[in-house]
Amino acid sequence: MSSAAPPAPARHQSWVAYRGLARAALRSLVAYQGAFLFGLLASVFSALAMLYLWRAVLASSPAAHGFDWPHMRAYLLAAFVAGSLASSWVDYRLAFRIQRGDVGLDLVRPVDYQRARFAEAVGFGAYELGTGLVVAGVAALAFGGVPAPPLGSLPLLLLSALLVLPLRFGLVYASAMAVFWTQNYVGVQAGRLALVSLFSGALVPLAFLPDWLRLLAAVLPFAGMASTPALLFSGQLQGAEAGAAVAVQAAWTVGLWYGTRGLWRAASRQLTVHGG
Amino acid sequence: MDVLPLPPLAPSPLARLRRSVWLYRRCLGAHLRSTLEYEKDFWVLSVAALLTQGVGVLLLSAVFRAIPQFDGWRFWDVALGYALVALGEGVAVLLAQGAWGLAWTVNTGDLDIALTRPYSPALQVLSSQIGMNGLGNLVIGGALLAGALAHVDVPWDAGRVALAAVLLVSALLVKVGLNLATNCAGFWLASPFPMFAFSMHTLGELARFPITIYGMGVRVALTVALPYAFMSFFPASALLQERHLWQLGLLTPLVAAWCLALGAWLFRRGLLRYESAGQ
Repeated sequence: MSSAAPPAPARHQSWVAYRGLARAALRSLVAYQGAFLFGLLASVFSALAMLYLWRAVLASSPAAHGFDWPHMRAYLLAAFVAGSLASSWVDYRLAFRIQRGDVGLDLVRPVDYQRARFAEAVGFGAYELGTGLVVAGVAALAFGGVPAPPLGSLPLLLLSALLVLPLRFGLVYASAMAVFWTQNYVGVQAGRLALVSLFSGALVPLAFLPDWLRLLAAVLPFAGMASTPALLFSGQLQGAEAGAAVAVQAAWTVGLWYGTRGLWRAASRQLTVHGG
Repeated sequence: MDVLPLPPLAPSPLARLRRSVWLYRRCLGAHLRSTLEYEKDFWVLSVAALLTQGVGVLLLSAVFRAIPQFDGWRFWDVALGYALVALGEGVAVLLAQGAWGLAWTVNTGDLDIALTRPYSPALQVLSSQIGMNGLGNLVIGGALLAGALAHVDVPWDAGRVALAAVLLVSALLVKVGLNLATNCAGFWLASPFPMFAFSMHTLGELARFPITIYGMGVRVALTVALPYAFMSFFPASALLQERHLWQLGLLTPLVAAWCLALGAWLFRRGLLRYESAGQ
């Protein structure tokens, strides 16, 4: 028998495979949308709590750190939509695949593991974005509308919005790989969610944090997951500062993509698959 | 052997209670031993719980740093309610985490095993897991409660201390009862994952803040439909005795009894629907 590796599939064949994976992911989500929607409801309640809290807080003080109530609304809702991408649905799927050993089967498939999982995240993302936008739209109407983003920020806002999914995917993918070592995912996920909710500015804008935490948040990958696009949307980030924030976001997106490739090589050596 | 013998099955209610408590403790003990076998898990979960609650407190203090008072609420008033939610979560996770496994147990038919044993199936389910992350919640919740009690303006006397103790225990039981009640959805929904209960749990997180900040619909939901406000806002108000409608907080023990009874009733109704494995 020849032990030569099978020839790599042509580029267009790979593309067809990834597109198929994205479509299958979207369909699987639509098939089990009940469970997904209950999960979404959970994040809706969190966002609702923050909207009400900020409404009460800003009623006592007309503006804090440059935020008045309409701009805070815009910020929180944009952060909510960004946060609905790469949701816990994607998260658990990635982790369970490793925990249950299904990852063993993935290793023999003629597609790149990371790109395949990202293709699925894009498929899920279409549904997550749709439901996130509907919820944010309804909340915006219920709370009295949001101001339109400034025209000058639109190109950077678009770029920042496009980077949210790959960036969030990068972090979720990296933390799912922790399962190779910990076997348990609940704690890893809860810890990561806590860090993201603090440093991404999803619940409280980073301007409200003490200086040392704010400076730390500015250089960590989390700000690009909610704060940067939400600040651009609410018009609180402009000029050179906006360019720098999106550059940090882009650098982390690329860095996490290649960093997790290295992590995968180390992690897959930890793999234990039973029954083989 | 230093293990006390199992109290016998007996007709008197007190003897039945003693037997239930004994068995509950033994079930939890068995899970504690198995959990401690996985030391890494224990640390990951404990640190995660500390982080989750710690971040919540940090964010709350960041808000109050910018605006020291809103709607008559100061940081330590809000912290009192916040601490009660963290403690309720800690106790529910540590002593009754099994509720979260109910959907899975029903879906896979594993509940059959509980039905064959001479012990309440609901108590078997509740004691079927022990969540060590509850310790993290208890540490942060306890520290915050101590800080809040030292800062809030309460004239402490014997009566007020007794009231605080009763309110605290009742508030914790509200959470345990509501956890069981919402997880009973697993009997009706086909999903093996408790997504319904999880979303209701997040609804309950709204009770971390004074419910006066919410619209009427949310207030009614948190007071009447799923009375999560009785695990934090109302008992805290009853202790401070200075807010509008604080007298409602004195009903916390009754609400706790209602939530536990609701959980037990829904569990019994659910068992009637349960189809076992292999259908």
